[in-house]
Amino acid sequence: MSYVSLENSEPFLKCFEVIAEEKSCIVSDSVLYFSGKTGKGFMTVAGMATGIEVLAVNVSALAEDLVFNFLPSDDASSYLLSFDEMEIPGKQDNELTPSHSPVPGSLYSSVSLSDATRGRVVTYPRDGVVRSILIRVRKSSLDHLIRDFDAGTIARILGTAGGAETLTWPITFKYRLLLNDFMTEIVQHPFRELFTIRNISMLIEYLLQQFFVMDRLAREGNALSVQDTHSLSRVEQHLCLHYKTEFPGIERLSRISAMSPTSLKTKFKRYYGDTLFGYYQKNKLEHARRLLDNKVPVKVVATEIGYSNPSHFTLAFKKEYGFSPWHYLNPH
Amino acid sequence: MKSQHPVLPKAAGALSWQEFSLPVGLRAAVLKQSAERVELLLPDFQSRGIVLTFLQYKGDLRVRWGCSGTEHAANPASGLMTRTGRPVTFLSTNPVVLSALSIFLPAGWADLFFADNAEFRKVEQLLEEETNIITCRLGRRHLSLLTSAFALYEEQGSSLLAMQNTVLTLLEYFLCNRHRSLLGVNPLSDIDNEDDLSLIREVESYISEYYCSDTFTVDSILKKTYTSYHRLNFLFKSMHGMTISEYIRNKRIERSKEMIADNVKSISQIAYEIGYSSISNYILAFKKVYQITPGKYKKQIDNLAG
Repeated sequence: MSYVSLENSEPFLKCFEVIAEEKSCIVSDSVLYFSGKTGKGFMTVAGMATGIEVLAVNVSALAEDLVFNFLPSDDASSYLLSFDEMEIPGKQDNELTPSHSPVPGSLYSSVSLSDATRGRVVTYPRDGVVRSILIRVRKSSLDHLIRDFDAGTIARILGTAGGAETLTWPITFKYRLLLNDFMTEIVQHPFRELFTIRNISMLIEYLLQQFFVMDRLAREGNALSVQDTHSLSRVEQHLCLHYKTEFPGIERLSRISAMSPTSLKTKFKRYYGDTLFGYYQKNKLEHARRLLDNKVPVKVVATEIGYSNPSHFTLAFKKEYGFSPWHYLNPH
Repeated sequence: MKSQHPVLPKAAGALSWQEFSLPVGLRAAVLKQSAERVELLLPDFQSRGIVLTFLQYKGDLRVRWGCSGTEHAANPASGLMTRTGRPVTFLSTNPVVLSALSIFLPAGWADLFFADNAEFRKVEQLLEEETNIITCRLGRRHLSLLTSAFALYEEQGSSLLAMQNTVLTLLEYFLCNRHRSLLGVNPLSDIDNEDDLSLIREVESYISEYYCSDTFTVDSILKKTYTSYHRLNFLFKSMHGMTISEYIRNKRIERSKEMIADNVKSISQIAYEIGYSSISNYILAFKKVYQITPGKYKKQIDNLAG
C-alpha cells in the first residue's frame, strides 16, 4: 500500500515526491507517469495562484492501493472536493466496498465535499480503473469564485448534513463527460491553467445546482434516503453506460434499482430533474455532439450511438438542441 | 433552483455595450441589436489588459484600427484580440444586425494564470506591436458557444456562473486555435476557417507519414478524415495550388530524387520503395515533374560528381 499523508498547508506536489521515490516513477512537467508493474496512467497537479489546487488521477491496474490522507487541521480555511469515477473489476455494482473509508456507504462514482478541518482519507483501490479529480480550495477563493451566490450556502449545507464529515452525492452524466474530457486533454493542453480553471468552474456550477436540488428536496420534506440514492445512482449509471443500446425499459430499470416502477419514476425525476428516458436521451445526444465535434459524419454518428436510421437521429437531435446535426456542422 | 443564481444585468435601448464582471476575475460586455448605421468602438474597460471580441453580424461591416486607419471587411463570424487602448472601430453605413461579446483579461489576471505559460507569452508578444490584431474566423464550436452565450444573456434569470463557463470555454478555444492569423498578414485569404485549416494540416501530416507505403491511396485519406474527394481537392488547390494527387506525387518524387542522389539503390528499387507499383509509372511521374527520366537524371548527377 502506498500511503501519503498531507498537512493542510502542504502542496499536492508533495504526493509526487513521496510516490516517485517509492515507486521510481517518471515525473515530467508536473505529470507523474505510472509505469510497468506499478500501474498504468498518470497523476498531475495544477496549482493556481488563486488558492485552488487540483490533483487529477487517471490510473488503472495499480499494483497496490493508493491512499492519500489529508490530516485534520485547526486552521479551518479550505474545502476538499473530489470527483471520482472508479471501476473495480470482479465485483457487482451492489456489493462494492466504500471507496472512501471512514465514510460508510460512499458511492463508487461520486462527488463529495468536505471541510479540511476534519481531515479526509481517500483510497484508490488496486486493480481498479480510477478517474478522479481532487480539489483543495481555500474558502476565500471559493467565495470569490462564486462571489455573487449566497456565500454561506456550502457552509450551511455542510452544517445541516447531520454532522457528517463528508457530503457525498452520486454523479450525473455531465460530470462523467467532463471527467472524460479533462483526463484526455489535461496532460498536453497548451493552456493547462485556463483549461483547469474552466473545468473547475463548470464542476462548481454542476455542484451548486445539485446542492440546490438537494436543499429544496430537504426543505420540501422529500429528502431521499441513503438506500434510495444508491439505487437511483445505479439506474443512472446503467443509463449512462449503455447509451449505445436501446432504452432498457422501465421493468428492467426497476429490477436494477429494486424499486417499484412508479416510485422509481417519481424519485428519479425529483432527484435528476428529468424523466428516465429524457435523461438517457440527453446523455446519448451529448455523446453524439462530441462525435460531431470530431468531424465524424452524421450517418456514422447515428450508427455509432445506436440509431438504425439517420433521420431518426436527426429528428431527435433537432428536438433536443433546436438545430439539425447538419446545421451544427455548417453554421456559416 | 435558478432563482438562487445571481442574475445577469440587462438593459435595452441604445447602441451600447452591457458590461458585467465574472466571479473568476474577468469582465465581459455584450451587445446585440440592429442599427441603420454603425460606428462602434470596443468597450472601454479602463485598465490595462487584453480584449477579445467575438462578432457575428448580418449586413456589411468593416473594421478600422491602428494609426493609419486602414479598413478591412470583417468576417461575418469572427474573433479578434487586441490590447486595451488601441482604437478599434466597427463601421457600417448600411443597416446591420450585430451581436458581439467582448471579454476583458486584466493584465494582473493574465499574470496570475499564465505566469509560466510560454504559449501565452507568444500571444502577448504578437499583440505588443501597434498594428497587430489577432483574428480568426469562427468554427462551429465557437459559434455554438457564442449562440448559447447570447441565449444566456437574453434569458431571464440566467446564471452568471453559466455565463462564466461559456466565456472561459470561448477564451480557451480561441487561444488553442493553432490557426490564428494576424489580420492583414494572413496570406491565406481563401481559407481562413479553422476547421478547414486543421483538416488540411491533418491530411498533410497523414500524407507525410504514409506516402511511401504501397497501400496508401487517396481513398484511405478520405476514409480517415470523412471528407469528399472534391472538397479535399478544392482545399488543396487553394492552399498549395495543386490537386491532392499532384501533391502526393511531388512528395514522392522529391523523396526519390534524394534517394537517387544518395546513389545506393537502383532506380527500380527506389520506385518500389516510394510506393509505385511499377517502374514505368514511376518514370512517367518523374518525367512529369522534372521533364527528364530518372535514369538521365542519375547520369547527370554522376557526371557532375565526376
